[in-house]
Amino acid sequence: MPESKTNEIISAEETDILQEIMNIAFGRAAADLADFIDIYVILSVPYIKLLRAVDLPRFINTEVKDFDKVSVVEQNFWGKFKGAAFLIFPAGSGKKLINMLDGGAESFESDPIFELEKETFREVGNILIGACVGKIAELLGDIVTYSPPRVVIEKSHRGVVPDNLFNPDNLAIVLRTLFEFNEKNVSGYLFIVTSQESFVWMKEALYKFLEQYE
Amino acid sequence: MIPEITGERTRGFMIKKILIVDDSPVSVKIMKSCVPKEPGYELLDANNGQKGVEQYKLHKPDLTFMDLTMPVMNGFEALQEIIRYNDKALVIIVTADVQVKAIAKAHELGAFTVVKKPPTKETIAAAIIEAQKTLDERN
Repeated sequence: MPESKTNEIISAEETDILQEIMNIAFGRAAADLADFIDIYVILSVPYIKLLRAVDLPRFINTEVKDFDKVSVVEQNFWGKFKGAAFLIFPAGSGKKLINMLDGGAESFESDPIFELEKETFREVGNILIGACVGKIAELLGDIVTYSPPRVVIEKSHRGVVPDNLFNPDNLAIVLRTLFEFNEKNVSGYLFIVTSQESFVWMKEALYKFLEQYE
Repeated sequence: MIPEITGERTRGFMIKKILIVDDSPVSVKIMKSCVPKEPGYELLDANNGQKGVEQYKLHKPDLTFMDLTMPVMNGFEALQEIIRYNDKALVIIVTADVQVKAIAKAHELGAFTVVKKPPTKETIAAAIIEAQKTLDERN
């Protein structure tokens, strides 16, 4: 999409406000997770991208292409702020996360590791996605409801995002943040995608957020 | 209610120059709007930790507000550099990283205090008052 066309839809200032809101929201989510597990989450500067919904699956595939296989927690949310969140970890993260949660307790061969991994991802996803999306909505004056998280373990990084997530003729905004769990060698991505249906409300809400400081 | 920070000071050193270090232009704008209009602070800004350190050395601000998550040089590194340069520097961390370990690390590295994002006029005014009190005690 040409840069000029993109600017008409979401301006540089709007992108910047959204980036700062994502920064605050993910910071809060990381703190919630750190309260739950004894870890330190290294945060990075969030990235905001506007693109055609039809290009969304390819964009996310490219972003996580360094991960051969991935585990994904997907959760939809509804409010004026409406969309889907994808928490993506590289293969092998599940066992490390289990280790963080149980404090390194010995596991037995008979343990249903697959189920345990799924539960662990579901719990971590619930905290990170719920707190982050919830905080974004709160800062923008909205309340959202969520679908139960859907967890997929160790699948190819291709097709993480379904082709039919949004109307392909529409646009989508992607909020992406990369994080790392210090000392545990686990990193991952959180993508929050919102469809064109939320744009009009979002633009107004972004300026309302800023207005309180004027 | 924003505490009063105006008024004549007959002695001691008064905060005049404030440096804001944050990579987000919106965040800098928010910070500038949160700093009380009186008594007319001189506000400087830098958009990453490295530029923040350079600006600090160049302008020697009385007070610095520093973000943590920034490109080029993060706020922890910049804080460390500033404290190494001037161990009396007053650096207030303004951050979205509200993890207990992040706040503890900022204090260990010499931060004066930590303010959670988004800041408000009240939290920033209160932080400036505390910094001013510390300066008064030193002098």
